[in-house]
Amino acid sequence: MATIRIPFGPQHPALEEPINFTFEVEEERVVSVGLRLGYIHRGIEKLAESRTYLQNVYLAERICGICAFAHTTCYTQAVEELFGIEVPERAKFIRTIVAEMERIQNHYLWLGLTAKEMGFETLFMYAWRDRETMLEVVELISGKRVNYGLNTIGGVRRDISNAMIEGIEAKLDELEERAEYYKRICTKEQTILKRTVGVGILRRREAVSLCAVGPTARASGIPRDVRSDDRYAAYGEVPFKAVTYSGCDVASRILVRIDEILVSIEIIRYALKNLPIGPLNVKVPRRVPEGEAISLVEAPRGEDLHYVRSDGSDKPARLKVRAPTLANLPSLCKMLINVNIADIPVVIAGIDPCIACAERVTMIDVKSKKRRVWSGRELRRYALEWYQER
Amino acid sequence: MVSGEIVVILRFLLFPGFLFLFLLAFFIEWFDRKLVAKFQNRYGPLHIGPKGLLQPLADFIKLLSKEDITPASADKVPFFLMPLLMFALAITPLFCIPMDDHSALISFEGDLIVVMFIMTLTALLLFIGAWVSTNRFGTIGGIRTGLQLFGYEIPLNLVMVGPAIGASSLSISRVVQHQFGGIWFVLTQPVGFAVFAVCLLAHLQRAPFDIPKADTEIVGGWLVEFSGKKLGLIRLAKNFELVLAGSLMTSLYLGGPWGLGYHNSFIYLIKLFACVFILSNLRALFARYRIDQLLVGAWKYLTPLALLQIGLVEMLPW
Repeated sequence: MATIRIPFGPQHPALEEPINFTFEVEEERVVSVGLRLGYIHRGIEKLAESRTYLQNVYLAERICGICAFAHTTCYTQAVEELFGIEVPERAKFIRTIVAEMERIQNHYLWLGLTAKEMGFETLFMYAWRDRETMLEVVELISGKRVNYGLNTIGGVRRDISNAMIEGIEAKLDELEERAEYYKRICTKEQTILKRTVGVGILRRREAVSLCAVGPTARASGIPRDVRSDDRYAAYGEVPFKAVTYSGCDVASRILVRIDEILVSIEIIRYALKNLPIGPLNVKVPRRVPEGEAISLVEAPRGEDLHYVRSDGSDKPARLKVRAPTLANLPSLCKMLINVNIADIPVVIAGIDPCIACAERVTMIDVKSKKRRVWSGRELRRYALEWYQER
Repeated sequence: MVSGEIVVILRFLLFPGFLFLFLLAFFIEWFDRKLVAKFQNRYGPLHIGPKGLLQPLADFIKLLSKEDITPASADKVPFFLMPLLMFALAITPLFCIPMDDHSALISFEGDLIVVMFIMTLTALLLFIGAWVSTNRFGTIGGIRTGLQLFGYEIPLNLVMVGPAIGASSLSISRVVQHQFGGIWFVLTQPVGFAVFAVCLLAHLQRAPFDIPKADTEIVGGWLVEFSGKKLGLIRLAKNFELVLAGSLMTSLYLGGPWGLGYHNSFIYLIKLFACVFILSNLRALFARYRIDQLLVGAWKYLTPLALLQIGLVEMLPW
């Protein structure tokens, strides 16, 4: 049986960002997947080396438009570890609250996008309308809808007043009701079930060996959640349980995320009730002591990792970001094998890809087509030479 | 009689001929868009004309003025002819529909067969259009159109024959006249009406059966290479097909322009918009099926139900 190669991306209506897949298709089944990254590499890690630690908070915020708060939390935690300071309790709670709000709005956004990939426009419109409710709350707290600018090294910049809390709680009730409604739809509506149950299978064993993270792993029955495994911010004081489903398919990924919305609402309610009184942040010096630190945060899409190395100056010697999408790409390639052409968009959407966060560079010798691994020092030297030549 | 001839010409040109049909096609697109927007909690067309009424016309004019690209590897002549043929084939069957009176503009024994034939032909035309455009996504869309045709065509034609058997005539006008004397076929053949609505959704390629032109999967499918004037004509043809679908539901099952002892085009329009309401409503309710799921569904449920309905029509006295 001859196979056809179908290019998918970098420009394709099912993709929000440029990435290229090459599918080998036998009749309507995908037999192999080729992946190509590198269309929107932005050089953020390099840029971070030329800015001060404080400026980099705002740079980290712009790694991803949706998990902006997760990235800043992760970055500031790493820097705070270098300083060896403890963030005030109130700041920890505010970080937890806003991180969960971000998760809620991200999951609503994702639900809408996945519905769109299934051709269910009505659910797309509904989910995005309800996402607005969450964005309004975030705007109430931070003044902005997307990049909140809330985190700073040593704490947070803005407070949640008692007047705000009442408004927030009313909106949370609304969101909870909607999430329960969507859960009912996604477990009962026949056309959705037909498109999601048994589609894009990633078995538990495969998910472990391919290092899946976040909701993708949890939908394969692995209770892997940084919030409960490595309790950062105020998660140590808030009672909650990581949501897992064992369906291993797109339907489970939908249910995991909807249930996470409900769990997040509970976390926010608890944190608002038990918000400690105290200062918002501690002052830190400009220069960061020499050393290196790793910080983990459960972003809405999965485990986010920041590594910071300091040489004692006011600028980081190295910032390394591993966004959750990059960790999930191997699992995605596995899921895509054996799916129907029509199911490709749903499966890709299933991991909630954020391509710009995941961009990486590989050095390939064009003539010999050989790939080279560069050490950090070589890469740095190359970059310096390249900038000097310009 | 000169004046009699003038009346016939005016009937063809103005009402219920070309002018009326064009206005109806644009209005029905607006109606459909506005309705689906309401279901989806949006506004829909808003700016051009009162309540966005002129938006479809504006879209059409805009598309006419856009650049018209023909792919280098496309088969030029059929690629050029396809939108024209599609437009012509979409508007022709509408003349067989009685809109204001007991008889349509063109009415003869067997016009129902012609309408069925033309409806099949439009689907084949999409396949050819996709094939000659030589785009990979287009080809997949074309193949899906063909596959979809295998699924819905047999039940569609079966349930269209149901009212014809009931009225003992293969003329749409006669079917309508028969219903004036008796009761509407929707009451005696409810299963047929339901199957007909579902099959029409598949024929019109509207959600949940927009499989051949699924945006997120195959980038518009068979439509992908058509641009400018060609796209404008195809979109207009699609509107005419929607009018035809609603009109067939009205004529075959709901008694056409007859109702409450009167017969005029106003009653026909009310029924037509009720039918379009049903089609739009279904469109907003579901996720898209996969092509294999559609075929299985069509052969497992639609075809047996259509056969059952025909069997009942043969057995029962009315």
